Amino acid sequence: MAFALLMAASLERVHVLEQYIGYSYLVLAALGLVWTYSKSREKAKAAAESAVRSFANVALTFVAVFGLVGLLDVFIPPELISRSLGAEGGVMSLLVGDVLGSVAAGPPVAAYPIAAALLKGGAWAPAVAAFIVSWTLVGFVSIPFEARTFGMRFAVVRNGLSFVFAMLIGLLMGWVL
Amino acid sequence: MKRVVAWMKDEMLLVIAVGLFAWAFVVSPGRAIEALGAGVRTFLGVLPIITAVFLAIGLFNVWVDKKKVASLLGKGSGLRIVAVASLVGTILVGPVYVIFPLMKAVRDHGARWAVVGAVLAAWAVKIPMVPMEIGMLGWRFSVARIVFVAAAAIPIGLLLEWMMEFGHRHAGSVVQVGEQAGGEQTRH
Repeated sequence: MAFALLMAASLERVHVLEQYIGYSYLVLAALGLVWTYSKSREKAKAAAESAVRSFANVALTFVAVFGLVGLLDVFIPPELISRSLGAEGGVMSLLVGDVLGSVAAGPPVAAYPIAAALLKGGAWAPAVAAFIVSWTLVGFVSIPFEARTFGMRFAVVRNGLSFVFAMLIGLLMGWVL
Repeated sequence: MKRVVAWMKDEMLLVIAVGLFAWAFVVSPGRAIEALGAGVRTFLGVLPIITAVFLAIGLFNVWVDKKKVASLLGKGSGLRIVAVASLVGTILVGPVYVIFPLMKAVRDHGARWAVVGAVLAAWAVKIPMVPMEIGMLGWRFSVARIVFVAAAAIPIGLLLEWMMEFGHRHAGSVVQVGEQAGGEQTRH
């Protein structure tokens, strides 16, 4: 009993943590950088440069993504989201989420704000999970590059498998969540 | 002109967003401004976490030794190395044009297709971005996704390998472009 209460209390605290996780993570990352600096100045410099470079690569995409999130929030009626991605849609919603994530070409960090907006609009959690998983796992746009690196057979097989697994993972997540 | 087209292709999402906003401003300027405000508010809300994510990406980049990762994955051929690959993949960060050639090098050093497939699947976990996921979608969602993606990396790798080698054991099978000699060995 006491244990269960303790568990519940700590779960409550985790929820609070969700709100402050941005700042906590920022502090942690900053500490990581300071620690790196104490080990090796060059490494710290390289890390900072890599951080700035990575951000610069996706900065414009970020502008686009948050613009789209705003549009989604204001212009897309929740009925539309729940109709195409809602729980009633079942496998169809799962497929829609999977396809949306597969054709989207953006950095993975951009998937989360869109996913959150979809969930808020009434999308089914497994469909949103399929969307996020396929966003990171399947890249229709990068298939030509993948084929040049590993061969066409690899690119087609890997993306195909990933597409199917994105739906399976979505279903499993609906089952545990 | 060619450059502009190439740039627009790279920034497809931005082009779409700008186009949609232009349309929104024509149709309903008031709601377009509202949408702009909602976008900016969301962005400011996640700004600390985005800063942290990119700092962490930088730190992972300098501390995760890609050469060591490659040499680790080139060794071994059992099921265990596929499981290791599904864990190693979770700490790799980098864009497609860094990770694909890295895994190509790993393959050329003798790694199984299953290892390459498992790493590329587990790569979708993206540990440095997990706090952002927790902040926006909740910790239950995030933990479930990580566990399932890392677990799926093993069957994905094995199925990929099976399909890569299917029919390739017979001499005279079609060797595709990009699969140069040396990279193509039949494994059992």
